[in-house]
Amino acid sequence: MKNKRTVIVGIFIFIGLIIFAITILTLGGQKKTFVKSFPIHAIFNDVNGLLDGGNVWFSGVKVGTVKKIAFHGDSDVEVTMNIDLNAESHIHKDAKAKIGSDGLIGNKIVIIYGGTLASPQVKKNDFLAVENGLSTDDMMATLQANNKNLMEITTDFKNISRKIDSGKGILATLLNDPALSSKIQVSATDLQATLANLKTVSESSKEVLGNLQAFSGKMNTKGNSINDLATDTLMYQKIKLTINQLNVASGSLNKLTENLQMASEKFNQKNNTVGLLLNDASTAKSMEATLKNLESGSKKLDQDLEALQHNIFFRGFFKKKK
Amino acid sequence: MEKKSLNKFLISKKFDTFFNELTNVFRFLGLYFKETFTSPFEWKETVNQCFNVGYKSLSLVTLTGFIIGIVFTKQSRPSLSTFGASSWLPSLISIAIVRALAPLVTSLIAAGKVGSNIGAELGSMKVTEQIDAMEVSATNPFKFLVVTRITATTLMMPILVLYTGLMGMLGAFINIHQNELTSFTAFIKNAFSTISFLDIYSSLFKALCYGFTIGVAGCYQGYTAQNGTQGVGKAANATVVIAMFLIFIEEMLIVQVVNAIR
Repeated sequence: MKNKRTVIVGIFIFIGLIIFAITILTLGGQKKTFVKSFPIHAIFNDVNGLLDGGNVWFSGVKVGTVKKIAFHGDSDVEVTMNIDLNAESHIHKDAKAKIGSDGLIGNKIVIIYGGTLASPQVKKNDFLAVENGLSTDDMMATLQANNKNLMEITTDFKNISRKIDSGKGILATLLNDPALSSKIQVSATDLQATLANLKTVSESSKEVLGNLQAFSGKMNTKGNSINDLATDTLMYQKIKLTINQLNVASGSLNKLTENLQMASEKFNQKNNTVGLLLNDASTAKSMEATLKNLESGSKKLDQDLEALQHNIFFRGFFKKKK
Repeated sequence: MEKKSLNKFLISKKFDTFFNELTNVFRFLGLYFKETFTSPFEWKETVNQCFNVGYKSLSLVTLTGFIIGIVFTKQSRPSLSTFGASSWLPSLISIAIVRALAPLVTSLIAAGKVGSNIGAELGSMKVTEQIDAMEVSATNPFKFLVVTRITATTLMMPILVLYTGLMGMLGAFINIHQNELTSFTAFIKNAFSTISFLDIYSSLFKALCYGFTIGVAGCYQGYTAQNGTQGVGKAANATVVIAMFLIFIEEMLIVQVVNAIR
């Protein structure tokens, strides 16, 4: 009987020790106590209540724990982290560390993020760059500012609604005056008609735009004279030169017209030969008589010259000339 | 006559009795440590007492631990659900059970069951002069009766606390699995994420202290019982009351010390 009791007590103690061992191993596994690790460091301005033993996350996976938190220099804080050896290959030297929290109101943790493949893997006692993120206090301060703004906005709205309710201002009139309402209805009908017209105009504009598009398409077609005009720089120079020459010619023409005008004015006066010829009747009669005398004189001179050809003295000269 | 009665007590009857008892308790403790580390050792009787204290309390402790796990989970759920934090139940339950409930509840049960049993047993032996008879038969009654019982309660209490913790966590898991469909792996991960080695060690240390307290209270009250059968009942009752009172005082002190270390 006594021997049986000893065995039972032994089993009892043994099972108790097994429970203890399993608890320790599970807790050790969870806390990575029995996993090989290496230390790395980061220097923060503010650790926001991070504690020794706090978790270290990389890409959302726990890769280690905070080993030591100590002041560094004047007011900075150096955090030493124990990182699992298995995670060494994933964390690079250009990765950064920041203080985060496990959930909205959870424990403070260190979050390692970033890092590029071009950078070598992190080694024992390396220092990571840090990013000082927003603390809960900062977020609360921003929220407080937002709340103040919201309060002011709601107060303004309250004042506006009170004025409307008491019948002050255009909005109140709009809401309460039936005559204004009917006017607005008429205006709305007019506006509808205007919009219909605008629709028609827009359709016409669409057509015009289509034509313009076709025209511009032709303009862009090579070999077309308008296209040449638009694109050929040599032709442009020639046209410019021609316009200049035309400009000069028009100047000369202008001068010629002026001279002609002056001449024609003189033609109307009797103080010059041409004007006398054109305007004086007696001169015209005299000129007519002169011309008749010249005609008869020329006929008589023809007869005299013919008689001269038959003259004995000049006959030989005219024969040689033939 | 009046002068004579004033000289009879140093301060007053109650104060004198209290300090006298305190001195006797420390003498009792000194004798315990002396007898514990001097041969001969009563191994067989110690194992026998371990059987009585540990194994015979197992069913009660198992049932209590299991029920505590379920009840505490059910009571905590509404508060956490208000914040949408039902997933934190395993963490909360593990902290509560490991840090406080397991050692405290186990020791209170043991104070009631084991303490009263020791007080009544030794008290009846005392009033029936069996202890005096042992002295006459060349057996050291202190070593055989007191040292074995105090050692047994001190050693068995941490193991009972481990059982209670296990059963409490099992009860909590069953309840959480039924309501939140949390897997066993997720439950264990979540539960162990918030507790530390210090929590485990401090709980076991508490259990050692509480076990020692229950043993000392029971043995002292029984070993110093007087006035026949009435004294036996008084010893059993005093054991439970004193042991529970001291357990709460110790709990408060140890929590302060552990939090200072944490």
